[in-house]
Amino acid sequence: MENAYAEALWKMIEAGEQPKAAVAKLRAYLERHGRANLLPKIAHALMRVAARESAKRAVVLSVARHKDIENAEREARDILKELGTSAKDMEMRVDDSLIGGWRLEGRERLVDASYKKSLLEIYNKVTNSIPRRSDVQSEVGAPTEASGYNRATE
Amino acid sequence: MSSTTVDKILKEIEAHAPSTRAEHVGRVTAVGDGVVAIDGLSKAVMSEVVLFEEGKGKPLSEAMKAQTELYGLILNLEEDGVRVAVLGDTARVTEGMTVKSTGRVLSVSAGEELLGRVVNALGEPIDGKGPFKKTTLMPVEREAKGVIDRRSVSVPVQTGIKAIDAMIPIGRGQRELIIGDRSTGKTTIAIDTIVSQRNEPKATRPVCIYVAIGQKESKTARIVEQLRQAGALEYTIVVDAPASSPAALQYLAPYAGVAMGEYFMDKGKDVVVVYDDLSKQAVAYRQLSLLLRRPPGREAYPGDIFYLHSRLLERAACLSKEKGGGSLTALPIVETQDGDVTGYIPTNVISITDGQIFLVSELFNKGVRPAIDVGISVSRVGSAAQRKAMKAVAGGLKLELAQFRELEAFMQFAQDLDKATADAIASGQRMVEVLKQKNGAPIPMEMQVAILYAAGQKLFADVPVVSVTAVEAKLTEFFDAECSEVLAEIKKTGDLPDDTKKQLNKQIEEFKLAHPELFEKK
Repeated sequence: MENAYAEALWKMIEAGEQPKAAVAKLRAYLERHGRANLLPKIAHALMRVAARESAKRAVVLSVARHKDIENAEREARDILKELGTSAKDMEMRVDDSLIGGWRLEGRERLVDASYKKSLLEIYNKVTNSIPRRSDVQSEVGAPTEASGYNRATE
Repeated sequence: MSSTTVDKILKEIEAHAPSTRAEHVGRVTAVGDGVVAIDGLSKAVMSEVVLFEEGKGKPLSEAMKAQTELYGLILNLEEDGVRVAVLGDTARVTEGMTVKSTGRVLSVSAGEELLGRVVNALGEPIDGKGPFKKTTLMPVEREAKGVIDRRSVSVPVQTGIKAIDAMIPIGRGQRELIIGDRSTGKTTIAIDTIVSQRNEPKATRPVCIYVAIGQKESKTARIVEQLRQAGALEYTIVVDAPASSPAALQYLAPYAGVAMGEYFMDKGKDVVVVYDDLSKQAVAYRQLSLLLRRPPGREAYPGDIFYLHSRLLERAACLSKEKGGGSLTALPIVETQDGDVTGYIPTNVISITDGQIFLVSELFNKGVRPAIDVGISVSRVGSAAQRKAMKAVAGGLKLELAQFRELEAFMQFAQDLDKATADAIASGQRMVEVLKQKNGAPIPMEMQVAILYAAGQKLFADVPVVSVTAVEAKLTEFFDAECSEVLAEIKKTGDLPDDTKKQLNKQIEEFKLAHPELFEKK
């Protein structure tokens, strides 16, 4: 119930209503229907909605080292245009697990140009083309690790 | 490491082109028991497969350790996101994890390579015999063939079980339900049917698919071994979604099985698919639906529980010549509680299928096996596919047995019965004995015809009821040794003309003369 009210409140504010006025309207409505005790829960739900919406809009550019930021911004410029954002609205993160390159994530889009991804792809291709010991065991009934969904298919 | 391996690695590195293609992604917001809520993925479609990105934030060495990729299946499209059933271990999913859209609906591997193999509900091998080299992907959800693409059922599926082939014949492309309480021999009938296909010529032998849903691993292992020993595994695929597997896989397994079957059907082959059992699939689907917050209905099953089974069983078909002439026969199994066929799932599946074989605990415990209740078992389209020879010997058999069951109650007053009733009871008792059959011993059609013909000629009238099974076994041996030509003729023509009848009569007389000790003197 509180989620529905929080969603409605968020939509009112999105539609241009002043937050204070929207909350007042909601409070009046809830009091009329004897549901005023839902207000604290609605507040929590609204925080979740706000967090979700801001996460949806956020665009994060991750690089392996600080010195890669400039280069990554240059390379990701076109993609940022596509996403309707610019470098100044973007959050920068340093993630040394990327090894090198960059990774842009946000607005339901992911562009992974990191070295880690490339290395993982090469590793997976190589290990799939070379039979593993677990794949060629001959004992009937002995379970083996599944080979990955549809990995060896046309 | 060998030089060829090094070469392969070098080739892969040289051929690798890093991509900066944007992928469509979402983010995990909540993880439940096998079901995950995801924000984003607004362009995803129903039944699309998504990939969980497990390596995010982890060092390369750890990311490489993940042996398999973790996939999910979109089952709910909501305003702000999607809900996904995890096709693997839910414990591997964490909140905030990135989920990638793959843009493809769920498909499974299919092809000749799968014959003789045990696979999971995703079509991955789980028998330790290595990965598949070259297979075709078949969509798990596919619309059933339309009216124009179909033709009437005309070729029988020989189950090798006398009681079924004679009284409840199944045709290729039919859907025949096997229903009964627990431990009444439902699986045995299905397995015997698969084993019986060994008697069919290789060119027209149906491919068999056994789908184990929510079964114990030990039971499935036993079945696989039984099929292997009977030489039936070579034309069979076993799809295993055990009780220990996630509900999503148990829900998907029958669809995976039928998708594999459709591959062969589209190539003009005949296929027999056994779903063991659909009650457990319904339970798995109920679990998923409740976790997906779909409104519960009767017995907490969701509103589309009927559609769950109808869209599966409608995919059984007998295709027209223009479409290759293949067929897919469905043998769903449903478990009843205390013999109640009016339960929700049993009535649903009964109404969808073209007949049912009803197994009864009472008969099973009496030693009548297969424990088929002839009165309420029926095959609505199979008689059109029954061979002429079988029709000739089985006509009236069902009625005779049904009458016998009615009269059985009077047996305790045997001394006061009139002659006609006493004769009907005596004949019925012997026919019940003739129709008894050991499990794992399917009988070829021509032998069934010969035995039932002999029974119809009152061969067993002079045999004590307790000895009927033994005499029948001797008769089978005798027919095997002395009547091979007659049997071959019945097999070839599928008919029982007067000449053949005369020859059989002669052989029956010879059998009587050869074994006078088996018959009571009047």
